[in-house]
Amino acid sequence: MLLVPCPNCGPRSSQDLTYGGESHSRPDPKTATPEEWRTYLYLRDNPSGWLVETWYCSSGCRRWFKLERHTLTGELRDPILPGSKTGVASDEATNIQGGTK
Amino acid sequence: MADAPVFQSPITNPTPAKGSLTLTDESELTKVSVRGAHIAVSFGTCEQRGDVLVVGSRPDEWTLLGPADAVAAVVSGLDLSGFASTTDITHSRLMIRLTGDDAARAMEKACGIDLSDAMTPNGAAVGASVAKVTCDVVRDDVVSDGREAVRSYRFLADRSFGQYFWDALRDCTAEF
Ligand SMILES: [Zn+2]
Repeated sequence: MLLVPCPNCGPRSSQDLTYGGESHSRPDPKTATPEEWRTYLYLRDNPSGWLVETWYCSSGCRRWFKLERHTLTGELRDPILPGSKTGVASDEATNIQGGTK
Repeated sequence: MADAPVFQSPITNPTPAKGSLTLTDESELTKVSVRGAHIAVSFGTCEQRGDVLVVGSRPDEWTLLGPADAVAAVVSGLDLSGFASTTDITHSRLMIRLTGDDAARAMEKACGIDLSDAMTPNGAAVGASVAKVTCDVVRDDVVSDGREAVRSYRFLADRSFGQYFWDALRDCTAEF
Protein backbone atom coordinates (compact mmCIF):
# COMPACT_ATOMS: atom_id res chain seq x y z
CA MET A 1 0.00 0.00 0.00
CA LEU A 2 1.16 3.53 -0.79
CA LEU A 3 0.38 6.55 1.35
CA VAL A 4 -0.70 9.05 -1.30
CA PRO A 5 -0.68 12.77 -0.40
CA CYS A 6 -3.90 14.28 -1.81
CA PRO A 7 -3.62 18.09 -2.03
CA ASN A 8 -7.09 18.36 -0.46
CA CYS A 9 -7.36 15.40 1.91
CA GLY A 10 -3.78 14.89 3.03
CA PRO A 11 -2.15 11.45 3.20
CA ARG A 12 -4.55 8.66 2.23
CA SER A 13 -4.27 4.96 1.50
CA SER A 14 -3.82 4.30 -2.21
CA GLN A 15 -6.86 2.02 -1.96
CA ASP A 16 -8.95 5.15 -1.46
CA LEU A 17 -7.72 6.58 -4.77
CA THR A 18 -7.73 5.57 -8.43
CA TYR A 19 -4.51 5.58 -10.40
CA GLY A 20 -4.66 7.69 -13.55
CA GLY A 21 -1.34 6.71 -15.06
CA GLU A 22 1.50 8.74 -16.49
CA SER A 23 0.75 12.34 -17.17
CA HIS A 24 1.11 13.49 -20.79
CA SER A 25 0.15 16.67 -22.55
CA ARG A 26 -2.77 16.04 -24.89
CA PRO A 27 -1.88 16.87 -28.50
CA ASP A 28 -3.90 19.51 -30.34
CA PRO A 29 -6.73 17.60 -32.15
CA LYS A 30 -6.58 20.06 -35.04
CA THR A 31 -2.97 19.38 -35.90
CA ALA A 32 -2.02 16.02 -34.33
CA THR A 33 -0.84 13.28 -36.67
CA PRO A 34 -2.00 9.66 -36.17
CA GLU A 35 1.46 8.87 -34.80
CA GLU A 36 1.15 11.60 -32.20
CA TRP A 37 -2.28 10.31 -31.13
CA ARG A 38 -0.97 6.79 -30.93
CA THR A 39 1.96 7.93 -28.81
CA TYR A 40 -0.35 9.90 -26.53
CA LEU A 41 -2.84 7.07 -26.12
CA TYR A 42 -0.65 3.99 -25.91
CA LEU A 43 3.03 4.68 -25.32
CA ARG A 44 4.44 5.27 -21.85
CA ASP A 45 7.85 6.53 -20.80
CA ASN A 46 8.10 4.12 -17.86
CA PRO A 47 11.28 5.72 -16.49
CA SER A 48 13.42 4.37 -13.71
CA GLY A 49 13.19 7.41 -11.43
CA TRP A 50 10.84 10.31 -10.96
CA LEU A 51 7.58 10.15 -12.92
CA VAL A 52 4.74 12.69 -13.09
CA GLU A 53 1.43 10.84 -12.81
CA THR A 54 -2.26 11.49 -12.22
CA TRP A 55 -4.47 10.22 -9.40
CA TYR A 56 -8.18 10.49 -8.72
CA CYS A 57 -9.24 10.89 -5.09
CA SER A 58 -12.27 8.65 -5.56
CA SER A 59 -13.19 8.13 -1.91
CA GLY A 60 -12.17 11.56 -0.67
CA CYS A 61 -12.51 14.93 -2.38
CA ARG A 62 -13.24 13.45 -5.85
CA ARG A 63 -10.67 15.55 -7.61
CA TRP A 64 -7.97 14.63 -10.10
CA PHE A 65 -4.47 15.75 -9.23
CA LYS A 66 -0.87 15.13 -10.17
CA LEU A 67 2.15 14.17 -8.19
CA GLU A 68 5.62 12.83 -8.72
CA ARG A 69 6.44 9.25 -7.83
CA HIS A 70 9.85 7.65 -7.79
CA THR A 71 9.40 4.33 -9.53
CA LEU A 72 12.35 2.74 -7.75
CA THR A 73 11.76 3.89 -4.18
CA GLY A 74 7.98 4.49 -4.21
CA GLU A 75 8.57 7.96 -2.76
CA LEU A 76 5.80 10.49 -3.53
CA ARG A 77 6.16 14.27 -3.68
CA ASP A 78 4.70 17.56 -4.93
CA PRO A 79 0.97 16.83 -5.25
CA ILE A 80 -0.74 19.54 -7.26
CA LEU A 81 -4.30 20.33 -8.34
CA PRO A 82 -5.18 21.23 -11.93
CA GLY A 83 -4.95 24.96 -12.56
CA SER A 84 -2.59 25.52 -9.66
CA LYS A 85 0.45 27.59 -10.56
CA THR A 86 2.89 26.15 -8.08
CA GLY A 87 4.87 22.95 -8.08
CA VAL A 88 6.71 21.07 -10.77
CA ALA A 89 3.71 19.74 -12.68
CA SER A 90 2.04 23.10 -13.26
CA ASP A 91 2.85 23.36 -16.98
CA GLU A 92 0.81 20.24 -17.68
CA ALA A 93 -1.76 20.67 -14.95
CA THR A 94 -4.61 21.59 -17.31
CA ASN A 95 -4.15 18.40 -19.33
CA ILE A 96 -4.95 15.86 -16.66
CA GLN A 97 -6.15 12.60 -18.15
CA GLY A 98 -9.73 11.55 -17.74
CA GLY A 99 -11.17 14.86 -16.56
CA THR A 100 -13.69 14.93 -13.74
CA LYS A 101 -15.74 11.81 -13.17
CA MET B 1 -50.06 19.68 -6.00
CA ALA B 2 -48.73 16.17 -5.51
CA ASP B 3 -47.91 15.09 -1.99
CA ALA B 4 -44.26 14.97 -1.03
CA PRO B 5 -42.95 11.41 -1.32
CA VAL B 6 -43.08 9.46 1.92
CA PHE B 7 -39.58 8.63 3.13
CA GLN B 8 -38.79 4.96 3.54
CA SER B 9 -35.49 4.00 5.05
CA PRO B 10 -33.38 1.59 3.00
CA ILE B 11 -32.44 -0.14 6.25
CA THR B 12 -35.30 -2.55 6.61
CA ASN B 13 -33.84 -4.59 9.44
CA PRO B 14 -31.97 -2.29 11.87
CA THR B 15 -30.72 -4.95 14.25
CA PRO B 16 -29.11 -3.20 17.25
CA ALA B 17 -25.31 -3.04 17.41
CA LYS B 18 -23.46 -5.56 19.51
CA GLY B 19 -21.63 -4.65 22.70
CA SER B 20 -21.29 -1.13 24.04
CA LEU B 21 -21.69 0.80 20.77
CA THR B 22 -24.95 2.05 19.32
CA LEU B 23 -26.03 2.33 15.71
CA THR B 24 -28.84 4.70 14.77
CA ASP B 25 -30.64 4.97 11.45
CA GLU B 26 -30.86 8.71 10.73
CA SER B 27 -31.76 8.28 7.07
CA GLU B 28 -35.01 10.22 7.42
CA LEU B 29 -33.12 13.49 7.95
CA THR B 30 -33.49 15.97 5.13
CA LYS B 31 -30.26 16.13 3.13
CA VAL B 32 -29.49 18.85 0.64
CA SER B 33 -26.37 19.08 -1.46
CA VAL B 34 -25.15 22.61 -2.27
CA ARG B 35 -22.57 23.26 -4.97
CA GLY B 36 -20.72 26.38 -5.92
CA ALA B 37 -22.30 28.61 -3.27
CA HIS B 38 -20.46 30.74 -0.77
CA ILE B 39 -20.71 29.09 2.63
CA ALA B 40 -18.20 29.87 5.34
CA VAL B 41 -17.62 26.24 6.29
CA SER B 42 -14.31 24.89 5.00
CA PHE B 43 -13.83 21.60 3.22
CA GLY B 44 -13.16 18.89 5.76
CA THR B 45 -15.10 20.51 8.59
CA CYS B 46 -18.72 20.84 9.71
CA GLU B 47 -20.64 23.40 11.68
CA GLN B 48 -23.96 23.27 13.52
CA ARG B 49 -26.27 26.15 12.52
CA GLY B 50 -29.37 25.88 14.64
CA ASP B 51 -30.83 22.45 13.91
CA VAL B 52 -28.86 22.06 10.69
CA LEU B 53 -25.45 20.51 10.36
CA VAL B 54 -23.52 22.15 7.50
CA VAL B 55 -20.86 19.78 6.21
CA GLY B 56 -17.99 20.89 3.97
CA SER B 57 -17.96 17.62 2.05
CA ARG B 58 -15.92 18.66 -1.03
CA PRO B 59 -13.77 21.66 -1.91
CA ASP B 60 -16.79 23.45 -3.44
CA GLU B 61 -19.65 21.35 -2.14
CA TRP B 62 -21.61 21.24 1.10
CA THR B 63 -24.24 18.94 2.55
CA LEU B 64 -26.99 20.27 4.80
CA LEU B 65 -28.47 17.81 7.28
CA GLY B 66 -31.42 18.38 9.56
CA PRO B 67 -35.21 18.63 9.83
CA ALA B 68 -36.92 19.65 6.57
CA ASP B 69 -38.07 23.11 7.76
CA ALA B 70 -34.71 24.03 9.23
CA VAL B 71 -32.80 22.93 6.11
CA ALA B 72 -35.22 24.89 3.90
CA ALA B 73 -34.60 27.98 6.04
CA VAL B 74 -30.84 27.65 5.66
CA VAL B 75 -31.15 27.12 1.88
CA SER B 76 -33.33 30.21 1.51
CA GLY B 77 -30.64 32.28 3.21
CA LEU B 78 -27.82 31.15 0.91
CA ASP B 79 -26.18 33.25 -1.75
CA LEU B 80 -26.92 31.12 -4.83
CA SER B 81 -25.77 33.59 -7.43
CA GLY B 82 -23.68 32.45 -10.38
CA PHE B 83 -23.43 28.70 -10.95
CA ALA B 84 -24.54 27.64 -7.49
CA SER B 85 -27.06 24.82 -7.24
CA THR B 86 -28.94 22.89 -4.57
CA THR B 87 -30.15 19.32 -4.87
CA ASP B 88 -32.37 17.51 -2.39
CA ILE B 89 -30.70 14.12 -1.89
CA THR B 90 -32.90 12.98 1.00
CA HIS B 91 -34.29 10.02 -0.90
CA SER B 92 -31.05 8.94 -2.54
CA ARG B 93 -28.84 8.76 0.55
CA LEU B 94 -28.83 6.96 3.84
CA MET B 95 -27.41 8.19 7.10
CA ILE B 96 -26.21 6.02 9.95
CA ARG B 97 -24.74 7.18 13.24
CA LEU B 98 -22.24 5.11 15.22
CA THR B 99 -21.78 6.21 18.82
CA GLY B 100 -19.63 4.97 21.67
CA ASP B 101 -16.21 5.35 23.26
CA ASP B 102 -14.83 2.60 21.01
CA ALA B 103 -16.40 3.95 17.81
CA ALA B 104 -13.01 4.77 16.27
CA ARG B 105 -11.58 1.36 17.08
CA ALA B 106 -14.64 -0.30 15.55
CA MET B 107 -14.33 1.81 12.41
CA GLU B 108 -10.68 0.91 12.02
CA LYS B 109 -11.87 -2.54 11.02
CA ALA B 110 -13.50 -1.20 7.87
CA CYS B 111 -11.83 2.06 6.96
CA GLY B 112 -8.33 3.38 6.20
CA ILE B 113 -8.82 6.87 7.62
CA ASP B 114 -6.61 8.12 10.44
CA LEU B 115 -9.22 8.54 13.19
CA SER B 116 -6.92 10.05 15.80
CA ASP B 117 -7.96 13.32 17.45
CA ALA B 118 -5.08 15.06 15.69
CA MET B 119 -6.26 14.13 12.18
CA THR B 120 -10.04 13.84 12.60
CA PRO B 121 -11.10 15.85 15.66
CA ASN B 122 -14.72 16.45 16.57
CA GLY B 123 -16.21 18.47 13.70
CA ALA B 124 -14.06 16.84 11.01
CA ALA B 125 -15.66 15.72 7.75
CA VAL B 126 -13.88 13.31 5.40
CA GLY B 127 -14.71 11.38 2.29
CA ALA B 128 -13.81 7.76 2.87
CA SER B 129 -14.31 4.19 1.85
CA VAL B 130 -15.95 2.34 4.74
CA ALA B 131 -16.54 -1.39 4.25
CA LYS B 132 -15.99 -0.70 0.51
CA VAL B 133 -18.80 1.86 0.52
CA THR B 134 -17.82 5.37 -0.57
CA CYS B 135 -19.33 7.73 1.94
CA ASP B 136 -18.96 11.01 3.76
CA VAL B 137 -17.95 10.57 7.37
CA VAL B 138 -18.63 13.32 9.88
CA ARG B 139 -17.35 13.21 13.42
CA ASP B 140 -20.13 14.69 15.50
CA ASP B 141 -19.56 13.77 19.14
CA VAL B 142 -22.62 13.51 21.34
CA VAL B 143 -22.64 15.92 24.27
CA SER B 144 -25.13 15.47 27.06
CA ASP B 145 -25.45 17.67 30.14
CA GLY B 146 -22.77 17.25 32.75
CA ARG B 147 -21.10 14.34 31.00
CA GLU B 148 -18.05 13.92 28.87
CA ALA B 149 -18.64 13.99 25.11
CA VAL B 150 -19.07 10.55 23.57
CA ARG B 151 -17.36 9.84 20.27
CA SER B 152 -19.80 9.61 17.40
CA TYR B 153 -19.58 9.32 13.61
CA ARG B 154 -22.24 9.89 10.99
CA PHE B 155 -22.03 8.16 7.63
CA LEU B 156 -23.72 9.46 4.51
CA ALA B 157 -23.82 6.99 1.63
CA ASP B 158 -25.93 5.93 -1.35
CA ARG B 159 -29.17 4.38 -0.14
CA SER B 160 -28.78 1.27 -2.28
CA PHE B 161 -26.08 0.11 0.17
CA GLY B 162 -28.54 0.45 3.06
CA GLN B 163 -28.95 -2.92 4.70
CA TYR B 164 -25.48 -4.14 3.71
CA PHE B 165 -23.85 -1.03 5.17
CA TRP B 166 -25.80 -1.33 8.42
CA ASP B 167 -24.84 -4.99 8.76
CA ALA B 168 -21.19 -4.26 7.94
CA LEU B 169 -20.98 -1.52 10.60
CA ARG B 170 -22.77 -3.78 13.05
CA ASP B 171 -20.19 -6.50 12.46
CA CYS B 172 -17.45 -3.97 13.26
CA THR B 173 -19.00 -3.33 16.67
CA ALA B 174 -19.03 -6.99 17.68
CA GLU B 175 -15.99 -7.09 19.96
CA PHE B 176 -16.51 -3.83 21.89
ZN1 LIG C 1 -8.70 14.08 -1.85
